[in-house]
Amino acid sequence: MNTPLSIKHCYAGRHVLLTGVTGFLGKVWLAMVLQHVPEIGKIYVLTRKKALRPAADRFERQVQTSPCFRPLHEKYGADMSRFVSERVEVVSGDVSLPDMGVEDPEVLARLRRDIDLVVNCAGLVDFDPDLRDAMTTNVDGARNAANFVAACDKAVLLHISTCYVTGKKNGKIAEDIRPDLAPSGDAFDVEAESADIQASIDAILADHESAEMERRAHDDAIKQIRDKGGDENNAMLVRNTARRIKRNLLKDAMVAEGQRRAARWGFTNIYTFTKNMAEAWIARRLDPGRWAMFRPAIVESSMSYPFPGWNQGFNTCGPLSYALGSWFRHLPCKKGNPFDIIPVDYVCRGMTVAGAALMRGEHAPVYQCGSSDLNLLTIDRAVELVALAHRKHLRTRGDTTLDRVLKSRWDAIAVTPDHPMRIENVRKMTESVDEWLRDPPKDWPEFIRRRLTDFAEHTEDALEAIDKIERMCELYMPFIHDNHFAFYTRNLLRHPVVEPEWDCDPRSIDWRHYWIDVHIPGLRKWCFPLFENKTPESYAPRHPFRLRSPEAAPAPHAEVV
Amino acid sequence: MTQTNTAAFVRVEGILLARGVLSAAAYLAGNAKKFGERALRLGLVGLAAPVHRLLGQTDRALAHRLAHLAIRGMSRDRVEVLCEEYAEDVLKDTILDQGLELLKRLQAEGRRVVLLSDSIEPIMKPLARHLKHYDELAYNHIEFEDDEATGRLLDPVIGSNVGGRWLDDYAAAHKLELARCSAYGAHGPDMLLLSRVGKPCAVNPDFVLRRSAKDADWPIIDYRD
Repeated sequence: MNTPLSIKHCYAGRHVLLTGVTGFLGKVWLAMVLQHVPEIGKIYVLTRKKALRPAADRFERQVQTSPCFRPLHEKYGADMSRFVSERVEVVSGDVSLPDMGVEDPEVLARLRRDIDLVVNCAGLVDFDPDLRDAMTTNVDGARNAANFVAACDKAVLLHISTCYVTGKKNGKIAEDIRPDLAPSGDAFDVEAESADIQASIDAILADHESAEMERRAHDDAIKQIRDKGGDENNAMLVRNTARRIKRNLLKDAMVAEGQRRAARWGFTNIYTFTKNMAEAWIARRLDPGRWAMFRPAIVESSMSYPFPGWNQGFNTCGPLSYALGSWFRHLPCKKGNPFDIIPVDYVCRGMTVAGAALMRGEHAPVYQCGSSDLNLLTIDRAVELVALAHRKHLRTRGDTTLDRVLKSRWDAIAVTPDHPMRIENVRKMTESVDEWLRDPPKDWPEFIRRRLTDFAEHTEDALEAIDKIERMCELYMPFIHDNHFAFYTRNLLRHPVVEPEWDCDPRSIDWRHYWIDVHIPGLRKWCFPLFENKTPESYAPRHPFRLRSPEAAPAPHAEVV
Repeated sequence: MTQTNTAAFVRVEGILLARGVLSAAAYLAGNAKKFGERALRLGLVGLAAPVHRLLGQTDRALAHRLAHLAIRGMSRDRVEVLCEEYAEDVLKDTILDQGLELLKRLQAEGRRVVLLSDSIEPIMKPLARHLKHYDELAYNHIEFEDDEATGRLLDPVIGSNVGGRWLDDYAAAHKLELARCSAYGAHGPDMLLLSRVGKPCAVNPDFVLRRSAKDADWPIIDYRD
């Protein structure tokens, strides 16, 4: 056990470079640190500029509109702009480019001289994205961050990864890193694999540009236009359709290649595969004293900061929880398997503690941050809690009588994948009904036949929803059925913290309270509207936030303790 | 001011609440996880109902145990959520105002008011927020193993024939003189409780208790339709 850390003292006057500030984790971490450690030196936030929008504008918009910054707005009111501007400097850059994409040599030199800690939150969290995107953001980004740190005078790197980089494994998973070994047990060389991936990407691109591919896309476009009753002689329409088909084919090929490689090395998906490669690059590039991997498990709604239930966008168990609140009931999973959820504020506290230990040189190489080790939540219990949370909402606030009376009692249950009511069978049944509705018995009266045919529209919608759920289940199977992941999370607890607000011990989580009163209501407010193509509640502070220029807002002169 | 060596023991069911254990068991059974399970558990409660009625006059503990078998195998999460729901949505509205008035009067007389309920802890804890004028609430505890209800009520079962022993223990622990204490019961098996105190009283009594109260010349209060 190390001597207790004082987060305030560790961060006072220290300069931090943060990437991925527009993401869920980065934003909460920034707000939390500003709120609880106002003594911090400068936080440089690396933000990409977009075509018409400078990086500073993008950051301003985040602080202005994201509910995540609500506690800060409430605390500082009209003084918020000054407070943040004194502590935050937006750096225009891109983690996927060399030198983190910082073009101004003066800024780059200043960063290399001043930065104490780099927190690399940037990452593409889609499970199976286009392999090129995953490589650019997850692998190149980490490699560039490592190169940047190597070129700095004193900076250290806290790289945000994921517990699941350990690949398909069962049982307790230790907090260690083996960059030279894949989960499959084969020797792994990240440099060779990166080169190999690049060669595969080039080959796919070359194939994509071939005349045969052009012909195939053209033929498919004609067929598609004909099926939809369009004008196949419209050259513009054919060209646009063919271009879209080609784009999709390319993406599918990239995803398939990524999945093939991930499976070959023993990873669950492209995300975990590329995150593992990122770790391997960092471990290879930097001395052990200059990096620590921080691996959260499944990051979910906040328990208390910025407020209970804060969540952002489509994240890991959002779609699952949403589906379990619909008429879909039977979730295939393995009872007793851990479902390693951890609230985002616990993760951010853990990151801060790990960052402090890293700056003090007392760090462990890997910090896993999850709940399966110390406060186990099983998948079947999670399903039960989701059902109870939906029940609680629907009983009193369901939109229709059907919701209040029936759907509220339509509890989701955990079943084995071979259950008779598994989603595959539900689809088959719905397809049969759909088929029958589209061609009812000929001897039935015409008005009944017409009504039945009209009803087929509903089954078509249902089939679309079932298709989505089926794909979602497939995506989640490695986590809820195929593997029994339980991640050790002891390294963080080796750093006792003086200030209670930085406690990140998962044993304090009451799962029932969290799921029913915090998480699912949070998802309902911030994420479910996105599934329904609605806009979640927005936030407008009383005092508009404007980032002041660095000259107008000098760095606070806090002493380094 | 509360007198230290005198208390009023008040049965919750029948005096403060219009509903009993079977209603709670039926609610839990009817909201089990699976549809088939619901039918099965409700059937169990249905079977337990006449037995409960029969045994209720002789061995209330066994009757309660039978009723609670319907929640065997339910997760602790579900039991606690459903119980809270039942307390808030169903029981809260059945609290009898006259019962609360009785408690208020007893407390005003300086007695330590002890409520005795047949219901289980997950129901009574949330309901306690809506009860007033009492000092202590005793209720039954259901056993959980690996966060799953076994359906077993833990001893001592409130409302059973062991009530007499429970009362002795309680009186000894709190240095009460039972002869100076009062008790308010509503059902036949409460006779044991009533007969142990100096000031027994039957409130909204059922047929058996009413007859016995009349025989023993105990006061009878009626305020339920």
